[in-house]
Amino acid sequence: MPSTQLHEPSPQQQSSTTMKDRLNWLWSEYSVIIAFLIIFIVASMMSPRFLDLTNQLNILMHVSIIGIISLGMTIIMLSGGIDLSVGSVLALVGVLTVMAMNASGSIIIGLLTACIVGAFAGFLNGILIAKGKIASFIATLGMMAGARSIALYTANGGSISSEVDGFSAISNSKLGMIHYPVIIFIIMTVLVFILMHKTRFGRYVYAIGSNEKAALLSGIRVDRVKIGVYSLAGLLVSAAAIIETSRLNSISSSSSGMQYELDAIAAVIIGGTRMTGGRGKIIGTFFGVLILGILNNMMNLMNVSTHLQGFVKGLIIIIAVVFQKRE
Amino acid sequence: MPDHPFLKMSQIDKAFNGVEVLKDVSLEVEKGEIHALLGENGAGKSTLMNILGGVHQPDRGKIVIDDSEIDMTNPRVSQQHGIGFIHQELNVVSDLRVYENMFLGAELRNKFGFVNVEEMCNQARDILGKLGVDIDPKAYVRNLDTSYKQLIEISKALLHESKLIIMDEPTTALAEHEVDRLFTLMRNLKHSGVSIIYISHKLKEIKAICDRFTVLRDGEVAGVGNLKEEDLESITKLMVGKSVSEERFTQAQEFGDVLLEVQGLTNVGLFRNINFQVHKGEIVGFTGLAGDGRTELFETLFGYRKKYTGNITIHDRLIKMDHPQKALKAGIGLVPKNRKENAIIKDLNVIHNMSLSSMSHFERLGLIQEKVEKSKFQHYKKLLNIKVHNPNVPIDRLSGGNQQKVVIAKWLEVNTDILIFDNPTQGIDVGAKREIYEHIVSLANQGKGIIILSSEAPEILKVCHHINVMYQGEITARFNGKTATEDTIMSYATGSKREGETNAEYTTS
Repeated sequence: MPSTQLHEPSPQQQSSTTMKDRLNWLWSEYSVIIAFLIIFIVASMMSPRFLDLTNQLNILMHVSIIGIISLGMTIIMLSGGIDLSVGSVLALVGVLTVMAMNASGSIIIGLLTACIVGAFAGFLNGILIAKGKIASFIATLGMMAGARSIALYTANGGSISSEVDGFSAISNSKLGMIHYPVIIFIIMTVLVFILMHKTRFGRYVYAIGSNEKAALLSGIRVDRVKIGVYSLAGLLVSAAAIIETSRLNSISSSSSGMQYELDAIAAVIIGGTRMTGGRGKIIGTFFGVLILGILNNMMNLMNVSTHLQGFVKGLIIIIAVVFQKRE
Repeated sequence: MPDHPFLKMSQIDKAFNGVEVLKDVSLEVEKGEIHALLGENGAGKSTLMNILGGVHQPDRGKIVIDDSEIDMTNPRVSQQHGIGFIHQELNVVSDLRVYENMFLGAELRNKFGFVNVEEMCNQARDILGKLGVDIDPKAYVRNLDTSYKQLIEISKALLHESKLIIMDEPTTALAEHEVDRLFTLMRNLKHSGVSIIYISHKLKEIKAICDRFTVLRDGEVAGVGNLKEEDLESITKLMVGKSVSEERFTQAQEFGDVLLEVQGLTNVGLFRNINFQVHKGEIVGFTGLAGDGRTELFETLFGYRKKYTGNITIHDRLIKMDHPQKALKAGIGLVPKNRKENAIIKDLNVIHNMSLSSMSHFERLGLIQEKVEKSKFQHYKKLLNIKVHNPNVPIDRLSGGNQQKVVIAKWLEVNTDILIFDNPTQGIDVGAKREIYEHIVSLANQGKGIIILSSEAPEILKVCHHINVMYQGEITARFNGKTATEDTIMSYATGSKREGETNAEYTTS
């Protein structure tokens, strides 16, 4: 796997290190993939239906929305911040998108509205954090309350449905056997991976997350990079909102996007990104998202009460972090 | 010499991951002796001290304290046997008060189980008084100068009534008069029977304060002796395996055009009315004591501090400095002090640290060309003699000297006309120091304008053409590097003498 941020031992070093060191290295670098494989194998043993191709594709479909949000969350957390507003912003984007679409009758106008609203919410977060020097937790907590409130007010607290034909096709069409949202999620993952590992923007994000003052003294426009980070994450929320709205052809201002921020943060943490920034991988988040998806699926297949599912998820998050601490 | 030294470490072996770090090392320290432990970075000094401190366990060998053999299984055992360890990195909590830091983990309590603030403050005041430091035990550490933080560390060790104190480069953050005070205190400790193991790169200090020395080189004892009977030259030779002399590195030369002109630069509370020029090929030094404002002055010049009045002119262009990026574009580079906090990105690997300020040199169609980065790094690795086997490891795996070389490589790649070095040899061993001086001089010979900030007058004297001395935010004197002496510089740096701006002008020879 190409990885620019983390070191791979050179051949000569590898030959001199012991077996134990190599295992340690493998564990610290790829523990999330190993964990994924273990959970995958356990799941397939516990439920015969788990391995069905339709079930597998179903899992991917279910995780695609959280997955896209988690990509943005990864970038934010790598820069040393956090974004609590993603769920609320998703609801707001959905509401305004449907309204714009119903008013204009054009899907294109709807998609444009979605992108503008999401990116603007992210941009505001970025301005507050970078220029206003407000802690990201506080700034996005404010945005979380504010965006949800505007969504509720605009939609009178209820759901609104799209009246434009063809909008629901975005989430409900397939290419071959694969749903569009899955394809969008995978394309986004690849694009964000390239952005983070192959461009200067990505390099700057890692640098800022690791040592902001040194990054500034290296001549990096820290403020602009941060605003870019939050705006981009907002744009990814837009994409997630379009998929969410299109799936049921409607959006609920009160319940859509509820606790998405927690699932996204969980996926990023399980994926091995450090809370304080500077360290982590897009690939890790990808598998973190899959782990959460498999857990949900497994509990559904095994008829675990929905009330207990949160407990299991919480347990897995804590176990994941405890194991990662060992490195 | 008595046969029973206070501390005897004998035939210590230690290897990390199969790499031998210490080979058959022995160390003896008498009661009431100040013993210098010398060696370049990576010679094994820290490992040896960590073994004594109980942080690491030796593979072979034994430690005897006061005639009884001790198994140093953890730092607590070491503390119980009276060993106090003052680390190079400051372990103070800035959000706590001075006395809270000193008593951290050993708070005094009254009979109700509440902390006894009064008693702790009194004891803290006593110890600080012994050190001759006038700070309120109730002051918050975050409001204090770095040098005071160091003194708090030292007070902490004194508080625990250690019988042997390890001091790992305690003077790096101290101004000269504070160093003198520390030395007086060390002599007092010595007379009261406390032994001290003193680690430093500053040989003059060692000569002044220590009784005997042990030199480590590549994990082995290269020499043991009495400091009175050896001169600095021969000790240096033991450390590096070759001789490093005290000669000046710069030669008199013709300077080119004015690169940088600063007029009436003021930042209220930090510095005021600063005027100077830097020419092509010139090395200008700024020195003074802690709190003289020189670091803040050049952070302002580099766009890190935005509020200032006065003019900054580069290449005859007036520039409003409000961001480091602007300074970089205008042609100023800064190798900051406190490498760990200000210069290196510890999660990025060595190559990425090198390329961080000049990403556009490595891009094609917006994508980073890692091959180009790598080959460029190989170029600097050879040029600056950076010792690293695998440049893909995180930068904090390198020794201090090599980290600093990577930071210098970063600015060489940006290729600015003016380079500011703030404390460029902080925590760097003798050999690497010399290399860095040589590179600085060769950069000036290539026509760059160089500014060096340092609290060490000898360092400034060695490399600078012209020297500015600062005291409390003002330039109090200017000297020609060839004719200045350490004593005259000190008298202006301490504020005991001062010249007006007008007669402070030096002649450009």
